[in-house]
Amino acid sequence: MDETTADETAFTALRTQLREAATAFAGGPDALEEILLGIVDDIDRAVHEPLEIFPVCHHSPASATAMARRLREKRPKAVYLELCEDMAPLLTELRNCRLPVAVQAFAAEVDGFPAQWSPLSVVAPITEASAEYQAIAYALETPDVELVLVDRSSDHVFQWDARGAHATGAGSGPEAPAEEEAALHGDAVGVEIGDLRPRFAELEEHLLRHGRVRHWSEWWHQYVELPLGESDHDTYRQVMFLIGSLFRRLAPGDPHRVRVDEDRERHMWTRMRRHLQETGTDPADCLYVCGAFHAASRVAEFGVLGEDTFEIGPRTATRWQYGLIPSSHAAIEAQFGLAAGSVSIAATLWAKNLRRTRVEPYRLAGQAGAGRPKARKAVAAAPAEQAPPSDRLTGFLGRPPVLDGLDEAELLGWSVEIVRAARRSGYPASTADAIAVFETSILLAGIRDRAKPTPYDFQDAAVTCIEKDTVPGRRDVRRLVEIMMGGDRVGRVGYDALPPLARDVHDRLAPLNLKLQQRGVRRALLDMAARPELESCSDVLWILRRLMPHGAARPIMGERKLGERPIQESWDLALGTHQRSLIELGYEGVSVEQVLEQRLRRTAYDSRATAATVLGAVEDTVLYLRGHRLAGELGAHALKVLSAERSVDGAPEVLRRVRRLLAYYRTGEPVLPPWIESFVKAGYAHYCTLLPTAFTDDDAGVRQVGAMLGFLFGMESLALSLGCDRTQLELALAQSRPRDPAKTALLWAARTHLGQLTRAQLRARCDEMLGNPMVVPAYPRYLSGFLHALEPVPGLADFVVEAVSNAFARLPDHVLLPWLPTLITTLRSDGAELAPLLIREAGRTFPGRLAALDAWVPPWRARAEPEAVRPARRSGARASGAALLAAHPAACDAVAGLLGCDGTWQSAESAPPGAALADRHPRTAVALEALLAAS
Amino acid sequence: MSDLLRAPAELKYAEELDWLESVDDAPKPFSWRLSPKMVRLFILGSERSDGLDREIPQKWFGDRGLVERSIVTLASDRGLLLIGDPGTGKSWLAELLSAAICRNSTLVVQGTAGTTEDHIKYSWNVSMVIARGQSRESMIPSPIMTAMETGAIGRFEELTRATSDVQDALISILSEKYVSVPELDDEGIVFAKPGFSVIATANSRDRGVNDLSSALKRRFNFVRIPVVTNKRSEAEIVRFRTGELLRRHRIELDVPPTLLDVLLQSFADLRASSAAAGSDDERLESALSTAEQIGVLEDAILHGNFFGEHALTARTLASSLVGSLARREPEDLAILNKYLHGVVEPRSREEGGSWPEFLEGGRDAIATLS
Repeated sequence: MDETTADETAFTALRTQLREAATAFAGGPDALEEILLGIVDDIDRAVHEPLEIFPVCHHSPASATAMARRLREKRPKAVYLELCEDMAPLLTELRNCRLPVAVQAFAAEVDGFPAQWSPLSVVAPITEASAEYQAIAYALETPDVELVLVDRSSDHVFQWDARGAHATGAGSGPEAPAEEEAALHGDAVGVEIGDLRPRFAELEEHLLRHGRVRHWSEWWHQYVELPLGESDHDTYRQVMFLIGSLFRRLAPGDPHRVRVDEDRERHMWTRMRRHLQETGTDPADCLYVCGAFHAASRVAEFGVLGEDTFEIGPRTATRWQYGLIPSSHAAIEAQFGLAAGSVSIAATLWAKNLRRTRVEPYRLAGQAGAGRPKARKAVAAAPAEQAPPSDRLTGFLGRPPVLDGLDEAELLGWSVEIVRAARRSGYPASTADAIAVFETSILLAGIRDRAKPTPYDFQDAAVTCIEKDTVPGRRDVRRLVEIMMGGDRVGRVGYDALPPLARDVHDRLAPLNLKLQQRGVRRALLDMAARPELESCSDVLWILRRLMPHGAARPIMGERKLGERPIQESWDLALGTHQRSLIELGYEGVSVEQVLEQRLRRTAYDSRATAATVLGAVEDTVLYLRGHRLAGELGAHALKVLSAERSVDGAPEVLRRVRRLLAYYRTGEPVLPPWIESFVKAGYAHYCTLLPTAFTDDDAGVRQVGAMLGFLFGMESLALSLGCDRTQLELALAQSRPRDPAKTALLWAARTHLGQLTRAQLRARCDEMLGNPMVVPAYPRYLSGFLHALEPVPGLADFVVEAVSNAFARLPDHVLLPWLPTLITTLRSDGAELAPLLIREAGRTFPGRLAALDAWVPPWRARAEPEAVRPARRSGARASGAALLAAHPAACDAVAGLLGCDGTWQSAESAPPGAALADRHPRTAVALEALLAAS
Repeated sequence: MSDLLRAPAELKYAEELDWLESVDDAPKPFSWRLSPKMVRLFILGSERSDGLDREIPQKWFGDRGLVERSIVTLASDRGLLLIGDPGTGKSWLAELLSAAICRNSTLVVQGTAGTTEDHIKYSWNVSMVIARGQSRESMIPSPIMTAMETGAIGRFEELTRATSDVQDALISILSEKYVSVPELDDEGIVFAKPGFSVIATANSRDRGVNDLSSALKRRFNFVRIPVVTNKRSEAEIVRFRTGELLRRHRIELDVPPTLLDVLLQSFADLRASSAAAGSDDERLESALSTAEQIGVLEDAILHGNFFGEHALTARTLASSLVGSLARREPEDLAILNKYLHGVVEPRSREEGGSWPEFLEGGRDAIATLS
């Protein structure tokens, strides 16, 4: 306290005044006096600190103006900024961006934090109308000036964070606009310079009530921003110190939050002292930019001469990556719980302040979206002499509030403008409304004790006069006013500031000749037939579609399927709108292929992955990466997963995918890859083993069992050629004893396929059921089984048509009608592929014309006769065909001659029964001969 | 205490209004009795910072901005249309505004399907017309016309319930500010005096019954009154209104805060389930407004006072709740039953307090009704 003795006189008058006030209000020395005088102490200490503290508030144009002015006056050699220290290298990249953008630290994989926290993301949004941008621009544009970020690193943000308690205020209240711009930051934790807001709900409520304002942003605008707009540096500083100290002393003292704040202050002062010692800079040549809240700190480490006892803890082993992501006013408002439109109003006010005060702002050279800095005579203003601090507060606090100098012409302009905007949005607004809005704004300002309406009053007036019972378009009047007041501004990260992956994507899509960096949807037309070089663009687009959120790359025409080559495609691309997602992809790898590979691997090796999901990953590998190595690796893994599976839930999916992959490899590759051969082989054995259980298990649905049979029958030839044994399947079927009617029907179908059951027997069973009144109610469920049997035994389609027709003909209404909806829904959901088969068959069976219907006899009734003469299948039937060939070798010899084969006949061991048949009934052979001779 | 069952606001708060008028030195628009700021103060109550010698209690609970917008609209050229769900306090706000501005809140036209243009403009005293012919004396002016003649605020309740052609009679009143009486040769036009305006209320649930024409919409400023969902302000409203009702019935009975909590919580739960319901059958027919809560509480208090032991119990509260909310026989009862079993039962097990008794009362009431 020694240092203050000299200057103590500066605030003596104020102290006396406050002491008197405390006595008058509280009736004696008590907590009130302590608080009031404590505030003066805080200001006193901050003002006398040799290292100049510059208190700021976030998104405050008054702070920005004061900062620009001070920097021009003082020209400090080092600027200390309250921003995560590890974000420093990125700041130079700001010049490649259009503000607002956010500096992001991102960690996809965590080490040292609980795994469920991942991915970790910290964002610090930077707008043009902010003091921090002024400081950054000054430091980076002026030679020999050093910018030092002194706040704790992103890693420490999470280390010090009691998870679940970050008060980021995301998605605050019903006013948060539900537009996509508000979600630009994703679920990142926001950090910002100069968070200044009462931490005491009652205090905020009190201030709002007495200020006759709706929300905090309006209060700030009205009572701090406007009065400070034109004040001098000392007044500005002291008022900000005062507010910081007030909020600090009136905080309810959440111990965790206070500890984090104090630790941050200790961290910052420790870093600054260290920097001063290392570089030997004179503290008088430095400027420390921090939130007003931290300027009123009472920690022992405060000040250049503060204690040096704080130990900065090590970071965890988490690997952080850094980048810039686009931000927007709406996103900032949503993240930090500000009122909708307040950042936009701040931006407008900043522009107005600049015009009015003629302060020349700092701006990074080459900053996109900003006007060219005017050539200006170098004002070689010598650093201003540091005048001894004097009390500016008494005067400031005693003055009546300066009211917004909104002039009438401006209000008229707004009134006309909002009516036009409302009309464009579908409101039936007219000039009369413009007059009413104008009048109501003035009346509202009057009732709220303001000489002239603020933008917020104007907004209320516009809502009152124009908004009716319904909102005709997408936006209501409140939103229209926000848009009119500067609207949401969305930043853009320039090409040079993008991570390598994003640059690579833009490079590879360059042949499309589209401005993909801009926001909005672009239509890309890819004619690969005419320009084969576009095929690589198509590859990139399909991968982006797989990796990025919906809407970033959306195919309008064209699809990517296994084994198909694209000819023409058209796409709707919105990469500019989804720039954040693209940049975050960049944290995962250097190219989209690498990221996709990683993700596929992660999906496949996930502990919850099923054989179907792994096969899905294999399919994606082949589809997007065309890589055999990864497909082989994942395929082998799929086999492992399949063998470990005990449930058959995924069977339909497995069947679908394996079929597709097999078809692809058979047509596109000379030989099948080894993994799919082993998969089919192992799958055959696997499903054979599980079949008896699946038939009886209630958990396995009929669709799943149908798919298993589909796998077994469909892959049979390949599996047998690879050494599987059919007996295994026959045994499995023999062991299957389903209780469920649908599965029983499935089993019958399977046995028919294997020849163990004839169609006549099958038909007889169905007839029997239809004739038995006790079983009839269950018949529809048998039919469902037959429908599912079309998957493994498509040859049964005619029988299914017959069974369904019989059901319609013979089932009583009370059984048939309740079942019909089930039939339709089953066909629609499960049988999308089976229905065409069934319909085709039905079309073949039923007469096409109405006239033919009368004479039509269902084929299954007409067939009754030939059925009798058809020879029963005998055990030796297979050999009969071979014998026939041996007896009449001419045809085979001719074919062999044509093919160039040179073979000899071996004698048949016994009299061929088929040949005997040909001898006994020669008419067919004779007719065939005559036909051949004629042709 | 007046001998009226329900005194209009200007009588009920006459003394307060007189006092406010005596201290009000701010400029007043037209023939207003109070300045806009005083009107706001009358409705929303005073604070220490207002620097008044006496405290003015709050009479309407809701967003300050809404009240300001309403007052300002009345000072402008347009009519005020308060729109909102039933029971959100639209009519009460309208009454308070008229009472504060012109000390007359009774110039009311009630919109119904049977409202005719005569109710808005004027009609004739038939016997007088036969005796003396058509003259100003034999004319019966409507409340709106009386408001025009005296420069007061006319009220139109449930505007959307009146048919469209009747509604449109307001268009000329709101824009030209006069009514012509073609039957009278001289004095054939009744002009509105400064200070005249119209406050209409409309129920947002009835929208579409008789939708307003766009010409009429243009002449009204719409102020939407939301349903109060903030528990604290809702508790305040319920306490305020119930206190008033108790005074009116001259009942000395305490409402235990725990029971008030039970009531508020059960309404909040039912609102949440209504919001989540997929169809109208899964939703209570009632709008579950604050007015409904007051109704339930009043019912319970009266029941407790006259038939019970001069005390409000959770059991009576539950049976009033079921009795007031079960309007459709199977659907509403089923919803309430589900609520009692699915929400109240676990809560009464976990929290105890008044909940077990509330549950029991609710069950009995449902059993009686079904």
